[in-house]
Amino acid sequence: MITVETLSNYGANTKEGIERCMNNEEFYIMLVNKALSDNKLTKLKQQLIEKDLDAAFETAHALKGMYSNLSLDPLTKPISEMTELLRSRCDVDYGEYMAEAEKQFAALTAL
Amino acid sequence: MQELLDRKKGLHRKILIVDDEFIEREMLGNMLDSFYEVVYAEDGEEALEIIKKEKSKLSLIILDLHMPKLDGYGLLEILHSNAELRRIPVIVLTSEKEAEVKSLKLGASDFITKPYEVPEVIQARVMHSIELAERSVIIHETERDELTGLFHREFFFEYGRMLDEQNENAPMDAVVIDVNRFHIINELYGREFGDSVLKTLGESIHRFVNKNGGLACRSESNCFYVYIPHQDNLCEFLPTQMEKLGKLFEEPKVTIRVGAYSDDGSDADMEHRFDCARLACARISKSYESSWGFYSAKLHDMELHSEHLIHDMDKALSEKQFKVFYQPKYNIEGDKPRLCSAEALIRWFHPEYGMISPGEFISLFEEKGLIHKLDRYVWNEAAHQVKEWKEKYNVTVPVSVNVSRVDVFNPLLGDMLDGIIKDSGINHEDLLLEITESAYTDNSQQIIDTVTALRDRGFKIEMDDFGSGYSSLNMLTSLPIDALKLDMKFIRNICVNEKDSALVEIMIRISDLLEVPIIAEGVETKEQAELLKGIGCEIIQGYYFSKPVPGEEFEKFIEA
Repeated sequence: MITVETLSNYGANTKEGIERCMNNEEFYIMLVNKALSDNKLTKLKQQLIEKDLDAAFETAHALKGMYSNLSLDPLTKPISEMTELLRSRCDVDYGEYMAEAEKQFAALTAL
Repeated sequence: MQELLDRKKGLHRKILIVDDEFIEREMLGNMLDSFYEVVYAEDGEEALEIIKKEKSKLSLIILDLHMPKLDGYGLLEILHSNAELRRIPVIVLTSEKEAEVKSLKLGASDFITKPYEVPEVIQARVMHSIELAERSVIIHETERDELTGLFHREFFFEYGRMLDEQNENAPMDAVVIDVNRFHIINELYGREFGDSVLKTLGESIHRFVNKNGGLACRSESNCFYVYIPHQDNLCEFLPTQMEKLGKLFEEPKVTIRVGAYSDDGSDADMEHRFDCARLACARISKSYESSWGFYSAKLHDMELHSEHLIHDMDKALSEKQFKVFYQPKYNIEGDKPRLCSAEALIRWFHPEYGMISPGEFISLFEEKGLIHKLDRYVWNEAAHQVKEWKEKYNVTVPVSVNVSRVDVFNPLLGDMLDGIIKDSGINHEDLLLEITESAYTDNSQQIIDTVTALRDRGFKIEMDDFGSGYSSLNMLTSLPIDALKLDMKFIRNICVNEKDSALVEIMIRISDLLEVPIIAEGVETKEQAELLKGIGCEIIQGYYFSKPVPGEEFEKFIEA
């Protein structure tokens, strides 16, 4: 169950995230749940497989914004790294980053 | 401005948040919805529809750059290119340094980075952007004339001074543009037409300064000031510009006067340049064609000379530099012309400039509101001269004195003249008061009342320059006057032009009808005198008998 405590234990900077939500915990939790129901991560994976780096950058950029605003730090880290590489359209193997992102996403979903 | 006031009413402001991500939109909206009404759009196209619909109500747009369909940059460009939409401040959401610079260049007023800073910072940035934009509207509306969009005068001079400082006093020309007879244009064609003339002129001037640099303002109702980088060929440049302007106002015809001060390398300040340009404009006669004139050293000297005359006036009065001369008037009805009165005319014997004719200083003193001092001086001198002749020759030679338009409407005039009569010991009818015809037509009832009151005191009134004013025929019979003085221009050609002599005869018949004598001024030849006698003119005055002479010299006419 997503709560402030479980999110904190997961590694999210809940204090920061809640502050952005005007100290409204319920609102913060609602937004986190919304992030979890978003399918952009799957989309990103597909775009990377297809090597559509332009689209992948846009998706990664959007995910970075979302996760960083919610201070979901473990998830933000690999996404941020991918975003910076994709900004320059680097044709590298994104497998490791994607794997880490998926792992962290799964951990969050499991709460 | 009204929209601004509506938006500020009850501090009700509306902001638009544009972001394709739900979480970002909602998080931001949550920070701001206690202070503003928040509306949302998911992409640039939806945002643009809302903006166009609500443009007068929106105080701010918060805009994400990365969106599908129309992205943030695209929307910024559209807003920036539209004069109405441009005024809505935009804060851009971004996490990239390069995007900050690009969006500021596209007209964004601020940016908010992602991840968002604490709510207080975001709220402060939003409020700051809104207030800055609102202040800018107020300044714009205050500093500019609503009709023409040009600056108001005060801001024009303020910005002009700043321009001079910034450009290290680079050479600048000052141009003053005046619409001829603007009040007549309003009267003939209506205020709406008058406003359209000013608006068209303002737009033309605006285009000109946009192209050539400089500033422009609407200084007074029909007067414009233009401050432009110096043009070496201003005397060719100006007529060309005026020709273009003239084409805008052909039917009905509207003409302008343009006065210009061309930078002469001196460090004259902006106000002084416009004083000079205004002077050059004022010196152009109000013709029915557009015309222009430059401020010049000669004009400067004339202006300086005028200033000296004004400065010297009081001293001249106390030192009696002003001398009253007298020109005799003769009754020509009998076999021999008989001296019947004289006209007092002023001359100035300036210690530095020599003899100055009244043409040089009368209108100047009238313009500067000083004429009443001079008039009183002449009345006093003339009254005492009449007394002196009475005592010396036991003969009364009444003297006519001019009463300026300004004096006529002075409520203390009667008492003042009574004082002079008493002081000099003469009778009221010995000091004849000459009032110009145009004074009667300017303010007929008031002057009729004033003159009637003067006659009730015992003064005699002569209507001067008869024929040059605009008396209507039915008014003539009710005029309280004791004599008519024909304007000298009617006399000039009476011997060579039958129409002129016929006209004078008609005027003499009018004086017969009014049962008052007529005095013909400016009679120079025997032929003129004889013709006038032949058609019934009673009194003549002019070089035929004598030029105006000092009191002592006049005595020979009394002795004769």
